[in-house]
Amino acid sequence: MTTVHSSSWGERKLPPYILMLFPAVAFMVVMYLWPFITSVAQSFFLSSGSDKSFTLANYVKVWELYRKDIVFTFGVTLFNTALVGVVAVVFSVYFRLRQNRVSALLSAIFKLPIFIPFVVVSQMMNSFLAPHGLLNTALAQLGLVDLQRPLQLFNFAGLSFGFAWKQIPFAVLIIHGGFQMIDNSYIEAARSIGAKLPSVIVRVLVPMNKSSIIVALVLVYSQIIGTFTLPYMLIGGKTPTTITVDIAHRVNYFRDFGVANALGVCSYILVLATAVYYLRSKVKEARQEVSR
Amino acid sequence: MRKKSIFVAFLIVLAFGLLSVQGLAAQKTRMIFMTAGDVNMLALGQNVFAPGFMAENPNVQVTTIHTGPGNAGSQTIFEKLLAEKKAGKTVGDVDVALVHEIFMKWAMDENLLQPYAQMCNTWKYVTTPFAKVDLGVKVEGYVMPLFMSQTAIAYNPDYVKNPPKSYAELADWVKKNPGKFGYNGIKGGASGVAFVMGWVYAETGKYQKYAVTGPFDKAEVASWEPVFKDLKEFNKNVVITAGNVGTLDALNRGEIWMGPVWVDMFFTFMNDGKLDPKTKLSLPEPGMPGQPMFFVIPKNAPNPELSRKFIEYVTSPKVQANDIVMRFNWYPGIDGSALKGAIPQATFDKIYSDVTPADLQKKGLAFPLADYYSAILESYERWAQ
Repeated sequence: MTTVHSSSWGERKLPPYILMLFPAVAFMVVMYLWPFITSVAQSFFLSSGSDKSFTLANYVKVWELYRKDIVFTFGVTLFNTALVGVVAVVFSVYFRLRQNRVSALLSAIFKLPIFIPFVVVSQMMNSFLAPHGLLNTALAQLGLVDLQRPLQLFNFAGLSFGFAWKQIPFAVLIIHGGFQMIDNSYIEAARSIGAKLPSVIVRVLVPMNKSSIIVALVLVYSQIIGTFTLPYMLIGGKTPTTITVDIAHRVNYFRDFGVANALGVCSYILVLATAVYYLRSKVKEARQEVSR
Repeated sequence: MRKKSIFVAFLIVLAFGLLSVQGLAAQKTRMIFMTAGDVNMLALGQNVFAPGFMAENPNVQVTTIHTGPGNAGSQTIFEKLLAEKKAGKTVGDVDVALVHEIFMKWAMDENLLQPYAQMCNTWKYVTTPFAKVDLGVKVEGYVMPLFMSQTAIAYNPDYVKNPPKSYAELADWVKKNPGKFGYNGIKGGASGVAFVMGWVYAETGKYQKYAVTGPFDKAEVASWEPVFKDLKEFNKNVVITAGNVGTLDALNRGEIWMGPVWVDMFFTFMNDGKLDPKTKLSLPEPGMPGQPMFFVIPKNAPNPELSRKFIEYVTSPKVQANDIVMRFNWYPGIDGSALKGAIPQATFDKIYSDVTPADLQKKGLAFPLADYYSAILESYERWAQ
């Protein structure tokens, strides 16, 4: 089959509609693929000096100076993806099973953070979570916190709060959409044979909605890894910090695109893992569809 | 036939049109002012300097061109001038350029500038050492400083009665008051970077070598380990704030009592009501870095006389007082004492009461030479984190 295909390829005229693909493909190649390739390539060359030969020096520097930051970034991302996943599923289940005015109002309010840009969220969190910020002063009014020893939130905890605040609604939007597709009869059937709410969630809703949950988690995960403003404005100069802050530092202060790209490659690898998992599960799903 | 005559008529109209445009342009001399820096520098050129200068010189049309922030913006100007030189262009496009310090090193090496400063009628007001030798390059005569942005330690006098007079005293103070000094590290903005540079100057005592004379000695970097280990100890008792603004906010909210800031941001925040007006400034020994921006005139400037006139206008006590000091809260490029009559005494007292012009002359240091600058930042990441 394949041989016939390839031998006839030469004579076969491409259908004209293939041209319609050109703008999209060209855009992808120029705006994504090409920068990606040059970024990986540049990470193997020194960005200053006359020595233009292949080198691993940039990666050595990344290892020496930034390995803590890479681990930290990975930790923050993993933790927040899990947190966002769990909370988003719980809220989506609530919106799916309780359809009344309160839940409708809540789900409308809930969508607001999706439309607020990260830089605004960062500024907000900056004044909200500060040692003498809104949160701490409010808690102090209630007598829960001593302003001389306020909660310190410009760290992992505050960063997680910011990411969760911004990303949970986004994940809910996707996951809730998936839950809406599940017919009530499944839930009723499970209930009629005595399933309690937790087992309805774990054994019916979540498995039937697996694909949209994975999509949501993959998107949240890659967004968190790539976010610059929130970590920069919350924990900027602290150690450890995130990869994105380090990249900005290498470029702004050293104009060192070599190490910056090497750091970039590290974050591509972190993202690649999920992308591969995502693609695999998609392929598996497609196969199951076919075999069905 | 008819078509042809219409065409001819069109050509004649076009030719007259061009001639009249040419005529208009001949009436007004065009002047190109090219500036590096953030967008605020573009606004400064377009909205402040150009209209002001054109009001005094109605025959001149000043066009401001902006090349972008940071050293990269200065580099664009340098590349433009270098290209003109290589192309043998004896009459260039740029009349006046406003550049960062590092530009001077590049441009002086390539001999792209003309000496003009001593001919300016405002030269007599220039006292800053930056206008003589800058980043190890002899620039005297080639530059007029527009302003100085300076870093200093801001403190809350409610809690800090006697601010530390030196970095050593500051280290003691921090030990006694853990968590009350804050700076933004080196990744959150240049006020933290400036603080670290000052720390290295203080501990090594080699300001002259690192910032003025050079040359860069790579072997020396290893000897800094104890300097940064001390800084690491110091960091254990300080708060790392979220950026230049973060330090000012934390001071304002009373979270910290002391921290390094850019002086212009400090006064801007205060004027906007975003910083407690009680807050004060001090410059500890041996000083902290700041940076000027310089006016230069390219060697092939089309109207050097006019260029000089423009620079004289902007460095005059009147413009320096009204625009540089009162409007944008920078320290003036010219000596502060020259402004005494030009700005209200209250404003003068405000900007110079904590840090006097004499302090600035003595303790307003330069940032290190480029190689030392990078080496210090990287050593911080290696040993102080």
